[in-house]
Parts: sequence; structure tokens; C-alpha cells
Amino acid sequence: MSEPLPGLLSIFDDRPEGRISFLQIDETGRVTARNGHVDLGTGIETALAQIVAEELDLPLSDVRIVLGDTASTPNQGPTIASETIQVAAHPLRLAAAQARQALAGLAARQFNAPAAEITTEGGAVHWRDASIHYGPLIAGTQLTMRLDLEVPVKDPADYRIVGRPMGRVDLPAKLTGAFTYIHDLRLDGMLHGHVLRPPYAGRDSGDFVGRSLIGVDRASVQGMPGLVDIVVEGDFVGVVAETPQQAQAIAEALRVDWRMPPPLPPMEPLAQTIKDQPSTPRLLDSTGDFPRGLAECHSTLARTYLWPFHEHGSIGPSCGVADWQDGAPVVWSGTQNPHMLQGDLALLVGLAPEQLEVRRLQAAGCYGRNCADDVCGDALLLSRAVRRPVRVQLTRAQEHLWEPKGAAQLMEVQGGIGLSGDLHAYGFDSWYPSNRGPNLALLLTGRISPEPHHAMMGDRTIVPPYRVPHKRITCHDLAPIVRAAWMRGVSALPNTFAHESFIDELAHEAGEDPVAFRLRHLDDPRQADLVRRTADEAGWQSGRGPRLRRQGRMAYGQGFAYATYVHGAFPGTAAASAAWVCDVAVDTETGEVTLTRVFVGQDQGLVINPDGVRAQIHGNVIQTASRTLTEEVTFDAIAPVAKSWASYPIQSFAQVPEIRTMLVERPGDPALGVGESAAVPAAAAIANAIFDATGIRLREAPFTPEKLRAALAANVAAALPAPPRPVRKRRWRGIAALGGALTAGALALPLHSAIPLSRAPSPSQFTSETLARGAEVFGAANCAGCHTAQSGAPSAGGRPMETPFGTVYSTNLTPDPQTGLGQWSYAAFERAMRHGISRDGKNLYPAFPYTNFARIDDGDMQALYAYLQTLPPVRAETPRAAMLTPVNLRPVNAVWNAMFHDPAPLTPDPAQSEAWNRGRYLVKAAGHCSACHTPRNALGAEDASRAFAGAMVGTDWAPPLAGPEAGARGWDQPAFAAYLRDGHAPGIASASGKMAEIVASLGAVPDADIQAMATYLASQVTDAPPLPRIEAEVPPGPTSRLFEAACASCHLPGLSGAETAAQVPLTMSSAIRAPQPDAVIGVIRDGIEAPLSLPLRDMPAFGAELDQARIAELANYLRARFAPDLEAWR
Amino acid sequence: MERLDFTLNGKAVAVTGAARLTLLDVLRDRLELNGAKYGCGLGQCGACTVLVDGAPARSCVMRAARVQGRAVTTLEGLAAPDSGTLHPVQQGFIDGQGAQCGYCLNGMVMTAVALLARNPDPTEAEIRQALRDNLCRCGTHLEIVASVRHAARRMAEAADV
Repeated sequence: MSEPLPGLLSIFDDRPEGRISFLQIDETGRVTARNGHVDLGTGIETALAQIVAEELDLPLSDVRIVLGDTASTPNQGPTIASETIQVAAHPLRLAAAQARQALAGLAARQFNAPAAEITTEGGAVHWRDASIHYGPLIAGTQLTMRLDLEVPVKDPADYRIVGRPMGRVDLPAKLTGAFTYIHDLRLDGMLHGHVLRPPYAGRDSGDFVGRSLIGVDRASVQGMPGLVDIVVEGDFVGVVAETPQQAQAIAEALRVDWRMPPPLPPMEPLAQTIKDQPSTPRLLDSTGDFPRGLAECHSTLARTYLWPFHEHGSIGPSCGVADWQDGAPVVWSGTQNPHMLQGDLALLVGLAPEQLEVRRLQAAGCYGRNCADDVCGDALLLSRAVRRPVRVQLTRAQEHLWEPKGAAQLMEVQGGIGLSGDLHAYGFDSWYPSNRGPNLALLLTGRISPEPHHAMMGDRTIVPPYRVPHKRITCHDLAPIVRAAWMRGVSALPNTFAHESFIDELAHEAGEDPVAFRLRHLDDPRQADLVRRTADEAGWQSGRGPRLRRQGRMAYGQGFAYATYVHGAFPGTAAASAAWVCDVAVDTETGEVTLTRVFVGQDQGLVINPDGVRAQIHGNVIQTASRTLTEEVTFDAIAPVAKSWASYPIQSFAQVPEIRTMLVERPGDPALGVGESAAVPAAAAIANAIFDATGIRLREAPFTPEKLRAALAANVAAALPAPPRPVRKRRWRGIAALGGALTAGALALPLHSAIPLSRAPSPSQFTSETLARGAEVFGAANCAGCHTAQSGAPSAGGRPMETPFGTVYSTNLTPDPQTGLGQWSYAAFERAMRHGISRDGKNLYPAFPYTNFARIDDGDMQALYAYLQTLPPVRAETPRAAMLTPVNLRPVNAVWNAMFHDPAPLTPDPAQSEAWNRGRYLVKAAGHCSACHTPRNALGAEDASRAFAGAMVGTDWAPPLAGPEAGARGWDQPAFAAYLRDGHAPGIASASGKMAEIVASLGAVPDADIQAMATYLASQVTDAPPLPRIEAEVPPGPTSRLFEAACASCHLPGLSGAETAAQVPLTMSSAIRAPQPDAVIGVIRDGIEAPLSLPLRDMPAFGAELDQARIAELANYLRARFAPDLEAWR
Repeated sequence: MERLDFTLNGKAVAVTGAARLTLLDVLRDRLELNGAKYGCGLGQCGACTVLVDGAPARSCVMRAARVQGRAVTTLEGLAAPDSGTLHPVQQGFIDGQGAQCGYCLNGMVMTAVALLARNPDPTEAEIRQALRDNLCRCGTHLEIVASVRHAARRMAEAADV
């Protein structure tokens, strides 16, 4: 079959940015339609395709929508204010209608028929029995037409595609991994950038912005693998490397000095901070005479409402790719505003906007202005420097810290009811510290001045919908305090929180049902219809609140709120109107609010895709409920606190309410935007429901359990008890005594003689059996564990050993003649091992467990010596010990030895099995288990009376291996054996840190010996009732939320059996049950990197994520929740 | 240079120089697969979920070296390799339209596959519980739960045939 002749039908318009082709049909009959807005994850691409397919009468699958590419799509402004369908789709619909008309004209000529008799259906033109598809009709034709704004469009009554549920066109590819998000774009020759941001995270005004860099020490990363370039301009610092991991590693190693920024204004109390900023009042509605009206009221209220800062919280941190292309750059972006970004980027690199192209790819869902544009500035600066394509992926922390926050907002309302019982006066003042979020690269490079400036966006839905004779509505415009810009619902959401809460308060004052009170003041019949129908359909229970329905500790309430989302410059354009009826359950003990059911009625005129509209309602309800109930950005002195979901938890499946929707059918009316409307009434509806349930009026979001708990407690005038906790006694009280005891005798003691240097025997002198036996002893003793420094050569020493008496360093065990054991005779080695005396005659600190090693039998000792001589020699000096006086006098150790060291060998116990005796030997000699697990006395010696009773070792906890405590955990022979072999005794313990290294080292020990060790250890365990394994109910608060967001996915996973989840429940954690919090704190801070030879799991480190205080709070929370039978730490 | 060998979506693969990389980095940057997504790098959001020997794993907190000799399944490996027929869970997510932006979709689908392998007929509460640690910011939770139910139904129907 021959190829069809090329052909094209194109509808264009000439616009300020040039000639734009809105719609094209080619000889295959496929349509390409262009729109300047973008799909932010809402499925707008599908809705636009429906509109085009409808007007053109062709299948949805024949329509391709191009969104937001600056080279080919019209500049229709940013994709904000839910206006894509309402505004931006209009020319596309006209173009499609016009194309259909043109196709009918072509067909009329072809069929020689009257144009009016031509019909179109299924991508073909029809006349009587004849029909021809669009493709063949166009083949061979070139038809270019200017967009006709007067072209007739289809009567909605005839719609066949619009108004029907349609599956998302992008979903199948997203489900198979075939879809290309911005994060998935790979270009030939592409390099990877990683940016380093200044310390003033999330701030964009002040003279320090762009001027805080002191210096970048390029030498600090010289020679690191993959390094291509380091780019510095103003406060912009970026690394380019061959791979993303290399770029990040270099960026983290790069030494950069910054001046510290001035502190933020105090962010608590936030209302005062907002009000204290310079602002410009804008009087927007002054109907009547507000002061007089207020004076005439018989009942007035004055209320203040506060909305916090929020994170947009896209699930994927922003990503961008730029290719400089010799000064005609192309930038691939997940931007919300391709044309605005084009202008910003052109300014950044000194080009005219048309010299630079922005191509838009989908990103993670965007609910306002996140870092999508910022990262493109980063990529462009880096690509310009290296003249190759560069991809920049922000980290989660960078996105969290730097994204322009959803702005906080302060609302003051004053109003009252007149003598007639009607709403008589209404004064409203709103402060919205926000702007459009200038591109970060422009600020960091100093391309634009970091002066504070505002955008006039605090006025969305600022006028209440109710009839009031006297109004004074004022928007106070003010610059951001921290980087802040629009977020779903913009200022309309907080404004409505205030309006719709206040109306409820007034209804209560008036003794009326809140819905009836609203309806009495709603003049617009379409709005009143929505309110009435929503209340009816939702089963609104009218009454004069609060009804205070209680069942046990639970209180139940219902709330109503309604709003029309008004967007654009004041007075703005109305999008869809939405009304909420919601039900809450309040736990009056914990203060937790559960949103159990939400009914949303929405009037959006013509519905394009009912499924899409419902999905938007669901998304608005779920996201905004989370913002209302939990979310709040907090700040330290300089910057936002949250660097991940740990400190900024968002909604999860557990909190999602039942949602019912009612779409008011108005096919004859224009389609209204639905992207945000259902979010707008959320906060007020929930606040009103909480009031109905408890009589408590919350006016500051979020409505956290701790806030409600405090209010409930204040209400009953009985604060929840906070019992004082006993102060723990100090440890290491014995140090002073030790000093006294040892200094007295120290000088009288003889020093030991040195053993002369002698070349050690060559490895070839040893039999392979001897060397194999030596390797087992070496493994059983985990020599390499203590004698290998972090990132040092194996067994070459230098690892710091923290003891209560100071820091000592392990020695070099390799046969290096100068710094290792290469010139140690066996006699010297054996004396060190058995008596703690070094070759040169000096005493070794008992951090070296010679008290255990003394019991190693001669054969093993000789084998170990032999094995050590076969290690690869490494030259490494041992650092000097740094001890506290008096123990820095090594001779005093001799006294210690005299008091505590018994070098006699173990005598076999004939009453016990061979395995038991073998196990005891391994545990007590080479294994030196007691060195960590047996508590030490004040002088640092093992306390034999409490053998294996558990001990703190530095900040680690070596848990009890003997006695009832070990029995309570469930330790027995099989458990010990499994643990020593794999590092994991199911349900009891898994090894981490040093113990995991030890188990890995025990890999050299045969199974029979592992079994023997387990046999001996189990014999020391006393039967005891099992650990309670109970979890306590801890009052919810910031730390419980931190746990749920940061820890639960691995420690209490919703789906068990995950390969990355913790292997042992936290109720069994020995660190949580330790006498001090240090071990838990250490694990949270440093994470776990378990040996790869064992079937164990890693844990990420949170030290960069959470500050010390937060980690300590988390440790205390873990103790209270998972070890409730133990007393709190300190 | 040390070599990592494992089975990826039914095929043997070998990667060198991956000692310090996470499994997610190896999948995305070395093997150029796009299904698993980077979301947080801390195992909090679940966007990077893959299956290791059938069990769900957060590939952003798992060192690639841990899958030596094991079988890894990613979103790309769910559909039938020859026919391209979608896995019932993928089909269920089309039935239920379980995505808005879809960035979290990988984690939802892979977790659902693991759930249904163990519990072919979960209740709504069990689905919510299983997906509890997978974050979705768009608020698609109800559609996702419905999608998993569709998937369960499809799997049951396939089993009946």
C-alpha cells in the first residue's frame, strides 16, 4: 500500500509571542493540539483531548495534546487558578470547531454536496451513504487558517465525549514504566549536576541573599572521580560530574565557607510576626458604612484566624535538564509556567526569551510553586559552564527547605447581627505574606535584587458571599517573610476558613442552624441551590450547635462550609463553587480528630470528564484535610526545620475519610475550573464540626491533637497530669577513687622489660592447618574489628576506643617491621596476649581484652601468631592514647593487673558436655564476649559477680546474655546459634554496629564451634517470664507524627515481610531497653550499615535530618511507647 | 572491579562498580529503568519500591550489593514479557484510574502486587493498612484502594478460568 500524500490542516493565530498553531490535522487523520498550560498531574491533558475530540467528532486516541512547550504553544500564563478548562481551553475548542467546519467544506467539494448536509462522526465525514476519513480528505491538501473567534461550537446537548468518564490517556505508560517524566529524561552526553545551597534556606529577601559566599576550596575535591567542573556565581555553587552519585559525593566533600545569615524574625507567635511586617492596605469593598453598621448591631463578635506555612510537598523532588547548545539553549522542565520560566532563564543568562526554548515534561504532582523552575536555572548555569547537557536532581532536603512555601495567612474578622436578626456588619482584614517566588538562580547569582516585594494575591475569595449592608474588606499586601507563593486554594482557602468559621460563630450567636442562617443571607439562587442541595443530599442534621454528641471518650460532630473560589486579579473570576458537609470523631482523651466522612457538592457548570472532576474533589479533600489537621512548617532561628517527611508528615491511607460527591448538572453553562474549589471550604467545615462535637472553636490551623487536648483540658479546667520524672544518678562515680587508689602505689612499681626485636618467622614455615586454625581464632576474636580504623587498611590499627578513662587506639597487627608485628617474636606476642604487656615492656590498657585472651590455649595462640604473620604488611603508626589523669600513667595499669587479672587457663568442667566446655572456652577466651557484655566496676575491671549482665560500652549497649533478663528475651541455644551465625535470631534480636561486625567475623568459625558457643551461653540463661512486648499508648504529638512518618515504614510496616524492614520488633529492641538512651540516639543519628556477608538490613542515618534535640525526643518516645515497663530515661 | 550479578525481571544482569550505590541508583542510573522513582532517599515515601525475591523493598535504602544472586522485579517486569499483556494489578489500576500525577504509582503497584500475592482477597481495611507507608500527595487514595480491589477481582477471575 502506498503512503498517503502529505497534507495538513492547520489553525493558527498571531500572538505577541509569534505565530502559534493551535491545532493541526495531518494526512493520517491524527490531530495535534497545543495549549500553553501544563498537566500538573490532574489529568488536564485528557480533558483537553476530550474537548478537541468532541468538537472534531473523532476518537480520543487520535488526539495528541502538546502542553507548555515555549517553541510551539501559546503563552497562556501560568497553570494556576484552575483556569485551564475555564479559560485556556477556549481557543482550542474554537480551533477544533473551525477545523471541523473546514473538513466539512472539503467534503462538500469532494462529494459535490451542500456543506450543511455533511455530518462528521468517528473521525470521518459522511454524506448520504458516502464517507471518507479525515486523513484521506486532507492528503495532498495544505490548508492554513487563522483562528476564527466567532466560529459556532457544538451544542452541549449533542456532546458524546465531553461529560463522559474517560480514562487518563497517560496512565498505561505510567503503569509500565514507559512514561517519561522529567526525572526520566536522558540525553546523549548528559552530565549530572548537584547544587550546594547557602545556609539561608527558604529565604529570598535581605541584603545577604546572593552575597553570603566567602569562598570555595576547589582543592578540597581535587582528583575526586568523575569531577567535571565546579561552577560558582554569587551564591550559586554547583558541581558537575559524570554520574549523579559522583556529583553528590563531590558536593558533599567540597569545602565551602558561608557568612551566616541574620536570624528570621521570631516565627512564634506567628500572627504577631505577620502583623508586624510592613504591609500596604488595599480596601476592596466598602459597601454601606461599616463603623456605623457595627455600632447598630445588637450582637457583635471580633475574631482572629491563623493559617500556617505549608509545604507543597511534591512526592518527587524537582528535576531539570538543560542543554546550552552554543547559546541557543533548550531546557526540559516540569515547570508550572513554561513561558514565565523562559523569561526568567533568558534573564539569567543574558539572552532574549525567544533564543531559549523550554520543553515541558510531566513531573510529580504540583499544587503551586515548588522548585521546578529553580532547578532549571541550576541546570542552565551548569550546562553553560560545561557546554554539555546537564541534569540536576534536587534532593528531598533541598526541595523541602527551599520550595516557596504555601504562605501563612492572618485573618481578622469583626461583625455582628442587627436588630432584625440579620447579618448587619462585616469587617475583614487579611494579611498574606507571599509573592510569585522569584527564580532562585536569579537571586543567588544577583541577577535580580533581593528586595522584598509582594504580589497582590491575598484577595482571593476575600468578599463573603452573603448579603451584608455594611462591609469593610481590606487586603493587606505584604512581602514574604520566608519564600512563599501560591498553593492550592491560594489565599481563598484561609480567607474562607475565616469567613465560614465566623458565619458559624454568628449563627451560633443568633441561635440558628448554620445552614439555614447562610441560606437566609444568600441572594444568588444558583449558590443557594448548591447549599440547599448539598445539605439535603448529605443528610445535614439541622440544629443550633454545638450538639456535643458523646459516646464514651469520643465526641461526634458535623460541620458545614461553602465557598466559591475566586481567582485572578480582584474582583477576579469565579471557578466552581463547592460546599462541604463533614463528620468528625474527636477523641477527648488524646485530642485526635478523625475526619470520618466528607460530602462535597460542587457546581462547576458543564462537566468535561466526571471521573476527572471526582478525582479532583477527592484530591482536594484528602490533601486539604491533611493540611488542616496536621501540617505546619516550623522554623529554627534561620530556616525551615523540615528536610523530609519526618518533620513534615502528610496524609496517608489511614486518615483518608469516606468521600461522597454530588456534581450539580449544568450542561448548558460554561465549564468552571475544578482544580481547587473543593479545597477551599475544608478548614472551616472541619473547624465547625469540631465545634459541634466539643464546643471548642479552633481558630488556628493545624488542628493537632496537642492543640485540641490543651483546649479540652482548659475547658474542663483540669490539666492533664505530667508527672515529674526522677533524675538519674551520674555514672562513673568511681573515677576519683581509682585515681586515689592507683597514684599511691604507682611509683613503686617495676616496669616490665622489653623483649628485643626479632624478625618474625616467614609464613612458609607454618602448615596450612596451623594457618587455618589461626584464621578461625582471628575470626572468633574479631581482631580485625577493633584493629581496623574507619576507611583504614584491614588490621592496621588506629581505631579509637572510647573508654571512661579516655581514648586509646588499637595497634597495627600486620607484619610491618616498623609499625606492626613484623619484628615481634612469639614470646613478645604471647606476653602481650596473656599479660597485657607490650613488646617494649609497657602495659597495655585493658581496653585490649588480654584478661580474656590469657585463656587461649597454646595451640590456638601459636596458630593466631602464625596467621597474623601472613597478613599483608601495612605501614601505619598507632596514634598516642589520650587518657584522663591518672590513667595516662601506664605503669598504674600494672596495679590494676595485680588486682583483676588472672592469666590462668580454664579448667574443663567434667560435669558438662564437651560442647559446653568448648563453648565456654570460645566465649571466655578468644571470643572475649564478657569484655563488652559484663559490667565493669569503678576501676574498669569486669565485675565477675555480674558476668554477662549487660553493660554500656561507650555509647553502645551490650545487652544481658545471662540470667533472667536473657531468659525473658527468649534466648536459648538455637537462638544464640542463629544469632552468632547470621546475626539474626528471629523474633529476638538482630545484630547491628559492632556486634554485626563480630558476627561477620565469626563467619570464619566452623558451625560446630558456633553451636558450642550457643550451648555454653544458653546454659547461663535463667528461665523467666517473657518480655511483655507491649506497646503503650503515648499521647499523640509532634514526636508520634515523626515516628509514623520517618520510622514506621520500616519498624511498624503496614505490609510485613518487606526486604528493607527491621527484622525485630521495637518492643524487643535491646537499645530501647538499655539503661541509657545513648545507643538508641547513636543508631538514629548514624544509621546502620550491616556487613554484606550477613542477611541483615541497613538503616538510613538521620543525623543530617534531625537535630540532637529531636533525636533525643524520639529516643524518649521510643522508650515510652515500646518499653513501657521500664522507667523513662533521666 | 567487583561485579554484581542478579536477575532483573527474569533476565540475568551484571553491573560493575556498584559497591557504594543503592539499588535505586543501579536501576535508574546504570540500567536506565524508570519505574522505580526517587522520592525521599530515606525509605519514607515508597516511590522506589521494587520486589526482591517477591518481597517489597525500598530500593533507596537498600545497597545494591544486597541483591547479589537474587531476583529483582520492577514495574517494567510486571507485564508478560512476550505478549506485553498487563499484570492484573496494572490492569486494576486502569480500571480504577488509580493515579493523578502517577509519581507514587510505582510504589502503590509494587506494594499491591506483594499484598495480593499473600492475601488474594483483602478487605478495604487490609488494603489501606498494606499501603499505609506509601505516600501520595495528590490525594488519590480512594482510587488506589479501588484499583487494588479491581486487581484482586481480576486475579480471582483469572484463577477461576
